[in-house]
Amino acid sequence: MKRGAIANAALIGVAGIFLTVWTFPVLWALLTSFKTERDVLAYPPTLFFTPTLGNYADVLFGATTILPNLISSFIVSTLTTIVTMGLAIPAAYALARLNLPARRAGGFYILATQMLPPVGLIIPYFLFLQKIGWLDSYKGMTLIYLTFSLPFAIWLLVSYFEDIPREMEEAALIDRAGRLRAFLYIVLPQVSGGLAVTVIFVFLNAWNEFLFAVVLGGNNVRQVTVAMFNFISVEQTMWAKLAAAAIVTMAPVLLLGLFAQRHIVKGLTVGAVKGGGRR
Amino acid sequence: MLSKVAARERRFAISLFLPAFIVLIATTTIPLLYLAWNSVHRVDMTMPWIAGFAGADNYAKMLGDPRFWNSFELTIVYTATTVVLQMLIGLGLALLVMQIPRGQGLLRIAAIIPIVLAPVVVGLFWRTLILAPDFGVMDFIARALGLGAHDWLGDPQLALASVIVIHTWQWTPFAFLVILASLASLPPDIFEAARIDRASGFQRFWYITLPLIRPALVIVVIMRMMVALSAFAAIFAVTGGGPGTATEILNLYTYRTSFTELNFGYGAALAIVLLVVTLLISYLMFRLRAPR
Repeated sequence: MKRGAIANAALIGVAGIFLTVWTFPVLWALLTSFKTERDVLAYPPTLFFTPTLGNYADVLFGATTILPNLISSFIVSTLTTIVTMGLAIPAAYALARLNLPARRAGGFYILATQMLPPVGLIIPYFLFLQKIGWLDSYKGMTLIYLTFSLPFAIWLLVSYFEDIPREMEEAALIDRAGRLRAFLYIVLPQVSGGLAVTVIFVFLNAWNEFLFAVVLGGNNVRQVTVAMFNFISVEQTMWAKLAAAAIVTMAPVLLLGLFAQRHIVKGLTVGAVKGGGRR
Repeated sequence: MLSKVAARERRFAISLFLPAFIVLIATTTIPLLYLAWNSVHRVDMTMPWIAGFAGADNYAKMLGDPRFWNSFELTIVYTATTVVLQMLIGLGLALLVMQIPRGQGLLRIAAIIPIVLAPVVVGLFWRTLILAPDFGVMDFIARALGLGAHDWLGDPQLALASVIVIHTWQWTPFAFLVILASLASLPPDIFEAARIDRASGFQRFWYITLPLIRPALVIVVIMRMMVALSAFAAIFAVTGGGPGTATEILNLYTYRTSFTELNFGYGAALAIVLLVVTLLISYLMFRLRAPR
């Protein structure tokens, strides 16, 4: 089709604006993280300054270290990922491929559990965990993280299991390999890509979580999303340190996201793109 | 013989599904029942001696609670505006980007960035670096445009607009990416045929593209609504629900009632209302999803 150069330039201009708008806050935070607190307060906002690594040194190893919080986040996210995958992989396979009784109802139930508002879940969890003394503990935190990671992981994995050709399993079964062996040695290797993407998403969601972390955490388990608020108080905001801490916190997530870039749309929609209803 | 095999397969399927099922019952359904139980009791940590069965008192209290109606209204406004904005911008941009021969990939990568960031960190970015009075970038831009400095988060109306913009900023890329993927999967020969039939650009969009991507659009709307209805961290970080109650959507009100005022009974009732609203909206949306 023929189209004018002006129209083309306009298209690219609009795309460029969105490119800027979506990347700007992160780039600006990155820039700020290399400023001294005094440079941050300069007006108009300055692009040229003597960069310093002092903020990073401070938020990693200094008085305002978030290292223990990064470790907390890492432990919670890892535990959540391990437990979630352990439960979700077999359940998703049963939903996608096996003659599971009440399969539709089971799938619907899992979908429905995702509708519970987090702020509604946190109330019973707080009261219950307080009663049994599990507040501010890794087991309590992991338990509530399952409420959003498990249904999500099951549905994402179902979409990957459905993509494998059935003949593979049937061939294995004719060999009298047994259902479990066919599942472990034939089916699972086929979805290794899907497993990796699911792991990334589950980890990422757990890493980013805030509401459960702020209510159920404490001095012992204090994730980095909560620790961000250390840099903001009524008296003063430590701008540059906050920016550095945010960059440190978001770096792993950004890397994971960019790494899984091609799969992200599928992960976000779980089958929506294929054209709607799955059964 | 055959039925024995079938029975074995069923047992195998159940044994794979059961652990996750039991864990979900224990971690979601039982807490939900406990929430409902709390909503009909007086559970107030500041006045533990009044504990007891309250019947529908907590729900009745809502009817005459202006703060509840304010948060209810804000929830509707927040959800509706953010979802509509995301869909319009996402769809518009996706249609536009489809026309760009090269450089699509760059925008697609940029779109990932807001999505993978923690909402609480996004909120803090905006609160400090962008919307802070005097030092923030927004004031700088507003002044440069001759609009003058504003207290973006201190003025009730501007604060509401700010949290809506922040949510839209973070999640429009989601709508954009999904719609773009859906557009890219359409068979090109349909458009070729329409072009031969001399259909105009708008006609092609309205009669061909739109019906074809409708299922994907509806899914995106449903998912965006769910996320908007459970929005918490970004608003908490940016305004904490304030100034006053200007950005206090139901989530924030429920949180403040439960964990600031320690009135868990009333908080639980508010959460149940939120759940009912969520279910109602998703039921309507799922009916919309069914093809006409």
